[in-house]
Amino acid sequence: MAYAQPHPRLSVVSTSSQSSSIDHLSPTTSSTRFSLPSTNKPGPNRPNIYDRNLNKTRASEVSAAAFAFLFSEIIQYTQKRVSGINDLERQLNTLGYRIGTRVLELLVWRTEGSSKTPKRETKLLSVLMMIHTKVWKAVFGKPADAIERSVENPDEYMIIDNDPPIERHISVPRDMSQLSCSSFSAGIVEAVLDGLSFPARVTAHNTPNSQSPNRTTILIKLEKVVLEREELLK
Amino acid sequence: MSHHLFLLSPSDTPLYSLTHQSTKPVPSVTSPLASNLPTWSTSAFAGTLTALSGASSATQHTTGGAVRVGGGQDRHVIQMIANAGLDVIEDVMRKENMMYLKSVDKFNEWTISAFITPGNMKFVLLHEGKNDDGIRQFFMDVWELYVKTMVNPFHTAHTRIRSSVFDNRVRASARKHL
Repeated sequence: MAYAQPHPRLSVVSTSSQSSSIDHLSPTTSSTRFSLPSTNKPGPNRPNIYDRNLNKTRASEVSAAAFAFLFSEIIQYTQKRVSGINDLERQLNTLGYRIGTRVLELLVWRTEGSSKTPKRETKLLSVLMMIHTKVWKAVFGKPADAIERSVENPDEYMIIDNDPPIERHISVPRDMSQLSCSSFSAGIVEAVLDGLSFPARVTAHNTPNSQSPNRTTILIKLEKVVLEREELLK
Repeated sequence: MSHHLFLLSPSDTPLYSLTHQSTKPVPSVTSPLASNLPTWSTSAFAGTLTALSGASSATQHTTGGAVRVGGGQDRHVIQMIANAGLDVIEDVMRKENMMYLKSVDKFNEWTISAFITPGNMKFVLLHEGKNDDGIRQFFMDVWELYVKTMVNPFHTAHTRIRSSVFDNRVRASARKHL
């Protein structure tokens, strides 16, 4: 690869940890996006976010390869900054959470934004169904494979994906076998539940079976207040 | 006729507020309480007291619509009424699955309407007249602008919205619908 000058992003990456200035990271001052032609520099003519139509990217798809590379980068980056598998899962969950809050708002805006009487989901079961179908479709392009209620614990629900798209190119080393990279999806689910005020702890677990070795269960453990409220509102 | 809009985060932190003076005519509001009360104009708390008793619209409108000080138009009174409305909003939003909760609460001349986004943001609007459809359209505009704000990775649930573009767009929508 031939760059006219030393790759500009290298300096940003290497100094970002010591540098107190955030100028490097600000998109308005940096012209270091190597994939864009230099004339496309963010300037006064750049359309601002309020001019953009929120439905423009509704049906557009992201290349699975691009996502796989990005996700792999996310995991490597996170792994360098954590101690242990639990910590890594928690970090991935946090990253997913930030996405989930946005997915929820955007998703509902796209379905209800043109309605005269926009509605929110207020019932637990319909919220879970919405996550199973609509959220999964919006994020992964297909609905999840199953949703189940735990037999032993009434506060636990499980969303099952037989082949999570984000894990397709990931092979977890044997000594980290408890790790489920779907903690990222668990974070998304947690954010959606939290946003609709059904606070829960959401974790991801590998539950392979003979047909689907990648089968993953997203375990939702609802907080006590949710069940009490559901009982009251019945 | 004035409108007061507050955008509150899920943890009830105010992220944005707007006061809008509408050009549409003021409906005459007569408060029965107001006429029975003395005018406490000298006390430091007079403004708050008169506002709470509902006397404001009777005493203040006589000044001819010029700059009004104290009474029901006072900033802190407005904030208090908006905050008090939150209790009712939180009650209603568990039972109602509508995002737009029209006229959930009333306080003297103020009516409180609210809009709850799926992510539990609350838009609270204090208004004087009845304008259900206009308010709904205004809330829908604000919601769209809010969604655009929150998909920005630099925005978090507790960041105040300071964008001047956001502000201008909300004002434009208020001029159109309120």
